[in-house]
Amino acid sequence: MMWKDKYKIGIDAIDKQHEELFGHVSNFTQTIRNEENWEAKLDKVKETMAFMKDYVVTHFNEEEAYQEKINYPYLEEHREAHTKFKESVNDYVKLFEEEGFTEERIQEFGGKLMTWLIMHVGNMDQKIGEYVRDKGGQA
Amino acid sequence: MKSEYVNSFYAATKNVFQLLVDMEPKRGDLKVVNNLSNDKDANVELGVKGDLKGMVLFSFPKNMTLEMVKIMSGMEMDKIDNFASSALGEIANIIGGNALTLLSEHNYTCDIDPPQIYIGNYNRSPVENEKALQLPLLTPIGEFDITIFLKE
Repeated sequence: MMWKDKYKIGIDAIDKQHEELFGHVSNFTQTIRNEENWEAKLDKVKETMAFMKDYVVTHFNEEEAYQEKINYPYLEEHREAHTKFKESVNDYVKLFEEEGFTEERIQEFGGKLMTWLIMHVGNMDQKIGEYVRDKGGQA
Repeated sequence: MKSEYVNSFYAATKNVFQLLVDMEPKRGDLKVVNNLSNDKDANVELGVKGDLKGMVLFSFPKNMTLEMVKIMSGMEMDKIDNFASSALGEIANIIGGNALTLLSEHNYTCDIDPPQIYIGNYNRSPVENEKALQLPLLTPIGEFDITIFLKE
């Protein structure tokens, strides 16, 4: 499993979503890396990609709405990081449409997705928790 | 080459490693090298442009690369395939981005190019035969290098 307790930011609703998101990315990673024949698992890969694309957008939107609610001072910077990531996912989606869902390209996407997600949640999102705690909110 | 360059890349690397693999890389002895070649198994090149120009090379041994990706993914890895090399490229990309943020505190505004990943030996001479600085970094899972070639 990719998820580690140290990635928690101390805000239950967001932590739950993060854990779920990590679970999906972890399953995706296991699917693309298992020994099964690539053609045989292609439908599952496509399905997981489509689901994750929607799920990531939903999570980002909810996280941004929460940041607005608490007047988080770094909202714009955070939104920009989300936007860049969504653009990067969309660039891959375009590539998959053009080139097909090749194993090499999906593996490349999977490695990048995992690393980005850990860094974003483990670093940038932690600052939301720190801000809430500094303001005397839920820890 | 100024110490800020090396210190910024070291600080960014330390921070990213602590988060991704729970390890703090220790600095080895900095050395001056004549070119950017490296015989470690996986090399990631980051082009830098803006107030500072040049490139930074991250060089990792195979076993260390696989162990890092294993710690992050929770899955066994036995070869540096597209998944592992892409994860490594993204790690270097994040370190580079964070290092540039630190350098901006010293009034250097720069951008990095997308990471170029080379599996196997890497050999490229720096432009105009300038010297580069190589910083070895020691971790419990192996030793890797950051080679910095930057000029104003």
